[in-house]
Amino acid sequence: MGIIEKSRKKSPWIIHYDCTSCNGCDIETLACLTPMYDVERFGIVNVGNPKHADVLVVTGSVNKKNVRVLKNIYDQMPDPKAVVAVGACACTGGVFKECYNIIGGVENVLPVDVYVPGCCPRPEAIMDGIVMALEKMNEKAKVKKK
Amino acid sequence: MELKLLAVAILLPAVSAILCYIFRKAPVRNIIVVVTALIMFAVAGEFVKLLFDNGGKITIELRDFAAMSTELVIKILDFLLFIYFIFIGVRLKKPLIVGLTFLQLIPLLIFEILIRPKEVEQAFIIDYLSLIMILLVSIIGPIITIFAIGYMKEHEHHLHLKKSKQPRFFVILFVFLGSMNALVMTNNLMWLYFFWEVTTLCSFLLISHDGNKESVKNATRALLLNMLGGVGFILGIIIIYKVKETLALDQIARVESLADFGTIFPIGIGLLCFAGFTKSAQFPFQSWLLGAMVAPTPVSALLHSSTMVKAGVYLIVRLAPAYYGTTLGKVIAIVGGFTFLAGSAIAISQSNGKRVLAYSTIANLGLIVCCAGLGNPVALGAAILLIIFHAVSKGLLFLCVGTIEQGIGSRDIEDMQGLMKRMPFTAVITVIGMISMLLPPFGVLISKWLAIEASVERSPVVLILTILGSAFTVVFWAKWIGIILTMSYKTKIQGEKLSLSIRTALSILFIAVLACSVSVAPIFNKLILPHIINLQIVGDQYIEGINGGLWINGGVVGGFGIVYLFAVVFIVMLLVPIFMNKAKPETMKTPYLCGENTSDTRGIEFISPGDKIDHVIVRNYYLSGVFGESNLTLWTNLIAGAIILIMFGVVI
Amino acid sequence: MTSILNLQNIITIIVAIVAAPIIGGFLSGVDRIISARMQNRYGPPILQPFYDFFKLLGKERITVNQTQMVYVLGHLFFSIVCIVMLVLKQDLLMIIFVLAFSSVSLIMGAMSVRSPYSKIGAQRELIQMMAYEPVLLLMVVGIYMTNKSFMISSIFENDRPLLFTLPLVFLTFIYVLTIKLRKSPFDFSTSHHGHQELIKGLTTEFSGPQLAIIELTHWYDLVLLLSLISLFFAKPIWVGIIIALVCYFLEMLIDNISARITWKLMLKLTWVIGIGAAMTNIIWLYLK
Repeated sequence: MGIIEKSRKKSPWIIHYDCTSCNGCDIETLACLTPMYDVERFGIVNVGNPKHADVLVVTGSVNKKNVRVLKNIYDQMPDPKAVVAVGACACTGGVFKECYNIIGGVENVLPVDVYVPGCCPRPEAIMDGIVMALEKMNEKAKVKKK
Repeated sequence: MELKLLAVAILLPAVSAILCYIFRKAPVRNIIVVVTALIMFAVAGEFVKLLFDNGGKITIELRDFAAMSTELVIKILDFLLFIYFIFIGVRLKKPLIVGLTFLQLIPLLIFEILIRPKEVEQAFIIDYLSLIMILLVSIIGPIITIFAIGYMKEHEHHLHLKKSKQPRFFVILFVFLGSMNALVMTNNLMWLYFFWEVTTLCSFLLISHDGNKESVKNATRALLLNMLGGVGFILGIIIIYKVKETLALDQIARVESLADFGTIFPIGIGLLCFAGFTKSAQFPFQSWLLGAMVAPTPVSALLHSSTMVKAGVYLIVRLAPAYYGTTLGKVIAIVGGFTFLAGSAIAISQSNGKRVLAYSTIANLGLIVCCAGLGNPVALGAAILLIIFHAVSKGLLFLCVGTIEQGIGSRDIEDMQGLMKRMPFTAVITVIGMISMLLPPFGVLISKWLAIEASVERSPVVLILTILGSAFTVVFWAKWIGIILTMSYKTKIQGEKLSLSIRTALSILFIAVLACSVSVAPIFNKLILPHIINLQIVGDQYIEGINGGLWINGGVVGGFGIVYLFAVVFIVMLLVPIFMNKAKPETMKTPYLCGENTSDTRGIEFISPGDKIDHVIVRNYYLSGVFGESNLTLWTNLIAGAIILIMFGVVI
Repeated sequence: MTSILNLQNIITIIVAIVAAPIIGGFLSGVDRIISARMQNRYGPPILQPFYDFFKLLGKERITVNQTQMVYVLGHLFFSIVCIVMLVLKQDLLMIIFVLAFSSVSLIMGAMSVRSPYSKIGAQRELIQMMAYEPVLLLMVVGIYMTNKSFMISSIFENDRPLLFTLPLVFLTFIYVLTIKLRKSPFDFSTSHHGHQELIKGLTTEFSGPQLAIIELTHWYDLVLLLSLISLFFAKPIWVGIIIALVCYFLEMLIDNISARITWKLMLKLTWVIGIGAAMTNIIWLYLK
């Protein structure tokens, strides 16, 4: 494992995008940053800028209005990158699935790497999801190289 | 040989002027301009050779008939000049102009008739300082006239003139250059005064060239302020003659004159410096130079770079040994330092490109005056270096802004976004010209650095002024450069249509900027160091150019020796990304706009609330609440006026 | 002067160029751990800055326009030039000017893209420069007043530590260090962490390897500035290094306990207190 692959696993910078979440998942995601869970232990930093980010963390289901923004943010992230769908809504559309304005889960728009189910998922689960995404990211980088 | 060369340097522009007046057809005039330029280059080159052959000083004595006739001609022209000034005053219905003319005319008459000054035997002395000025005048000046060929055609096209005013324009330009050449060569203070007034007249005529209300108003202001300086000048001459009984500049401007400081001599020097302040637009006399912006670009380029304002600092630098180390010198340094600070501060709040340049000129002239006031060898070296570098860079920048203005129809900095796309050639040259004004290893910064190193020993007041001023300069230049460099990904760069004359002028000056900066050490060793040594100023510090850099006391006190390193770094900086891109191109992404980007790849459009497509508009900070012209001008003028009063208070 | 490029100097230069980022990286790792501890968190491993650096190097190279890399490299190279001039004990005033060049280069890079965030970040960075530049220059002047030379070598020849003659200048230098390192309360050109009004300000549009280089430059700058601090106690140098580290700790403390202020307040504070205090110090040296 080269130094870059190793570093990639040690330093995932995330951008957190709230589609139409009820804010429950957002609160749990941000709880990860608190002293209680302290994701910085794993080098995870919430950067808020797609150009610096490695992992896109999406909460809530995608609707017709924000799909453009979600796609734009994903496009602006440099490769290798991963998408983590946090919460039931982000995974499948959840209780909003049948709404007239809802497209559904994130998978309908972007290639999702890790699904973190739950309403809302616990911070431990979210962290676990992000760490799983890192493995996938390295695989993606390898595939791309070939 | 010397005499012929001298005659060519002064009279050739005059002859060309007459030729321009006679042959009014554009093609003929273009040939005259180009030929004159080439001859002036050659003359400047000859002067360099001659000066080095003669060991650094060419003295030209006019004898008998030649002396008499020249003297007579100059006197007659002098009186004609004043009659013309009165005529201008009457025509413009400005009693103040008439009054100031009489204030000069009456002392002049008294002086010539009652006192009858002894003639100066060595009418012309050319030393290294004169040579530097000659080089600036006869290289940058003609380049600007060449630029003017293309520019004025376009300019008159915009104005829709029925009858071309170009012959008049070029006549004045050439007279201007000739009188500048004479001004820096003459050793007779009276003659210097005459040429001084000629440049005043020329600048009046050039600023009012377009003939509209605003230009006449600003030209009148320029005339008034410069005539105020002229009054100071003639009074200064009389006082100095009273003490020294000579009009020879080399007898006055030397270290031995310090012995006369018990008499009224310092008042005379102070008055001459006052004249210099008005000419080089020091605060509170800066308004005429700002007003001069209404003139066509070649005029402002000429006024700001090699002529006119440089005449003022030339006189002050020339006189520097005569007040070195005195309180007068210290106050002069404060006048200059204050101008440097105030000019740079106000420049931050300006969004009009030409005004930024104008304030920057004022600031740099202030720094030159400041260095001259400090007067020790290091400071004088810095002053002369700055005269050179500023003239070259500022000449270039004015021409660039003029070209840009014709290209995009605006001189507002904010309108220059994306200039790289529309005018790539001019944009690159402009940016490098600006960088040469603020960053190492270019000359202007080196002189700034020397100025700080020189002022440390001598005056804490000057020190804080120069330090704050130099922090301000970075801000306004960087803002402007940033705007010009703004570009989107792989914009289609359009070819730029420039007339041959404009393109040549820009290229030559651009090369001159680079050449001067690379060869700062040889320039210093060959031209400036011998001048300072000849002045025999006592100082415990000296600068020397070693290995392409400049060192104070051979590197014990300070120094800078990495000019070449910078060149290497610049090249690597440019080449690495190019090769990296060749190997594997970068991927283009639009700028981050919170994900609201449209399909627009430039990244200017975004979708605003209500699904409208809007444009991103970012303006620079101008901090006008702090540095606004209207806030500061009154106070700076008051302070500057007070400092000048202090200057006279000190000598009386 | 001809002997400036002898073997010993070349070795020193190479060692400095290699060692400076390593030290700088470790120091920022320490910074992150200590900041975390101050916030009652555990914090990342000490090697975290290096992980970030290499990860960024391995990312896709994306750009907004073709010229960004040029400015970033300029930012890096001129910082390295500063370090080289420092170890060769050159003119301190020129080092400050070259350091300014390095900052201006980054500002140009941020202004060259059509992004509102990075443009405003660049403008704010310029204001910061306007604030700290005079104080840095005054520090150099103070050093000249004590040693009668601008060369760093003269500091090492002087037996009396500079701190005794320049206490106020030293304090103001620490004060502007906060601005120069873009730490709170003066972090308005680029914020350390996420979601703020300017995203990442100055560095918003730099990503992947470009950001890695900016990070690297930051380490060089950190080492340079801390060694400038240690110059105040150049003999014996270990005391100086300890003082520099203590100052660095102070910076972290200030960073963690203060909220951001506005640029107007910063300018006022820096000019009135910073320049005022430094000038006071220098004036008393004049009168001495």
